[in-house]
Amino acid sequence: MLKDVTFGQYYPADSFIHRMDARVKLLLCLLFMVGIFFVTSFVGFAFITVFLIMLVASSRVPLRSILKSVKGILVLLLLTVILNIFFTKTGTLLCKWWIFEIYDGGLYFAAKMFLRLTYLVVGSSVLTLTTTPVDLTHAIESLLKPLKVIKVPVHEIALIMSLTLSLIPGLIDETDRIIRAQKARGASFDTGGLVKRAKAFVPILIPLLVGGFRRAEELANAMNSRCYEGATKRTQMRIMKLSWRDFVATFIALLFFVTVFVVYGMSYQWNNTEWLLTNGGEWLIVNGINWLYF
Amino acid sequence: MDIITLENVSYYYKTYDDDGIAAQASGVEGINLTIREGAFVALVGHNGSGKSTLAKLFNGLLVPNSGTVTVCGLDTAEKKNIFEIRKNVGMVFQNPDNQMVASIVEEDVAFGPENLGVPQPEIVERVYSALEQVGMTEYAKRSPHKLSGGQKQRIAIAGALAIRPKVIVFDESTAMLDPQGRREVLSVARELNKQGMTVILITHFMEEVYGCDEVVVMSGGHIAKIGKPSEIFADERLLEAVGLDAPRSVALAAKLKSIGFDVTDNCIDARTLGVEVCRNLTK
Repeated sequence: MLKDVTFGQYYPADSFIHRMDARVKLLLCLLFMVGIFFVTSFVGFAFITVFLIMLVASSRVPLRSILKSVKGILVLLLLTVILNIFFTKTGTLLCKWWIFEIYDGGLYFAAKMFLRLTYLVVGSSVLTLTTTPVDLTHAIESLLKPLKVIKVPVHEIALIMSLTLSLIPGLIDETDRIIRAQKARGASFDTGGLVKRAKAFVPILIPLLVGGFRRAEELANAMNSRCYEGATKRTQMRIMKLSWRDFVATFIALLFFVTVFVVYGMSYQWNNTEWLLTNGGEWLIVNGINWLYF
Repeated sequence: MDIITLENVSYYYKTYDDDGIAAQASGVEGINLTIREGAFVALVGHNGSGKSTLAKLFNGLLVPNSGTVTVCGLDTAEKKNIFEIRKNVGMVFQNPDNQMVASIVEEDVAFGPENLGVPQPEIVERVYSALEQVGMTEYAKRSPHKLSGGQKQRIAIAGALAIRPKVIVFDESTAMLDPQGRREVLSVARELNKQGMTVILITHFMEEVYGCDEVVVMSGGHIAKIGKPSEIFADERLLEAVGLDAPRSVALAAKLKSIGFDVTDNCIDARTLGVEVCRNLTK
């Protein structure tokens, strides 16, 4: 019914990007996501475009898979563009119809927003397409390690993530089984109004929840039997090592971003705090949606 | 040498009826049992006979309400012993999906040694030798949920083996498998026993009992009989009383033997019996 979550969106291939350390990929991806909101000129966007083309080409992921991710936020993209066109009232008035007014500033702003969002998704999908969720979990655990000093249960968070990953396929199978069992007794899930349909899901959710608890108890027994006692003295089989690839990639990426931001982006926006504030809020909202989406 | 000793062990579950009034439901009662090192012991019984409760008592998942369970000379009721005990008693459970902790085979097998704080190079060595023992080396980098039930159980066995236990308990590990999967798990269990591992096999399939050194028949939380498989199979009244059946092929083989056929004792399924009969007829 559903594809293998262990590999998520992962596109198996053997490329420079695939072989990079997941931690470096994650950090560079974060840098990219923050950085793209500092780019304000079309020359800057041209630079980013060149960078992304290089990135996608060296990842050996077919363009189709990447465009599929962009398709996922198409509604959000259109909404942003339309809102920006009609609600930005700067620059010269181009045309006016009833209460709708279009200014050239709005068009520019909408175009930039469109590019920003698209590039954001392209950049992060390169990460998820070239890294397995398991590797990502390990990378997050490794990167969060310093937080142990302030008593953040890093190991437990990582364990919960990896247990979730390993339990999802089973839960999906079980949901499927319960749905079929309820259908066999005459339940229908796709007729009637919204309320009726929502109610039809109760007989699925309850057995699923009960099953989930039973599963959790069995898993806890299995973990205890295998000597689990939290993070104390625990070692790890997987060791993550930085290779020359990671240094080369970091160097190239930093070079690009420094050029783009310093020369074309921040040079004339730096002292405009109002701009930073509005764009900062927007950045939070858009990135929030983006993370939810993944 | 005795590796697990149960002395007058009782364990009760607490149950609640519809009015929320607590009652004691029997788990096991007054169990005396010793398991020798290197033995292959089968624990059989009907549903609710207490065999799985007994399994959980072997590695301290449950601690008896009365009596003592001693594993390698350590009392399971002492909290400080618990990890030493679990290091020595590996467990394989019934549902293969509910005992996987990682979504990559090799990482799942590594979970035990990682918990023990084994140094990284040794973990790799342990994981791969455990996978080799169960014949799953080629699946090391795969995701376990796409494998068959028998293969998943073999991964679970490897996970227990990587801890390097002295005893391995199969808590109805074959109950959810198809015949092919059951054969896979049983052959791994027998192979491990040949290499010197103490194996405790809990099951309600009587044909799996064959080839064990000792069979413990459980009924209603008590031990009904301990004996060699042939003794148990021969005791029809006992089997009827506890609600178990001797495999039909075994009964037929016994009859054939009594009228002068030269059939071996391990006719646990129709196929082996057929081969034996053919061998006799062509002689």
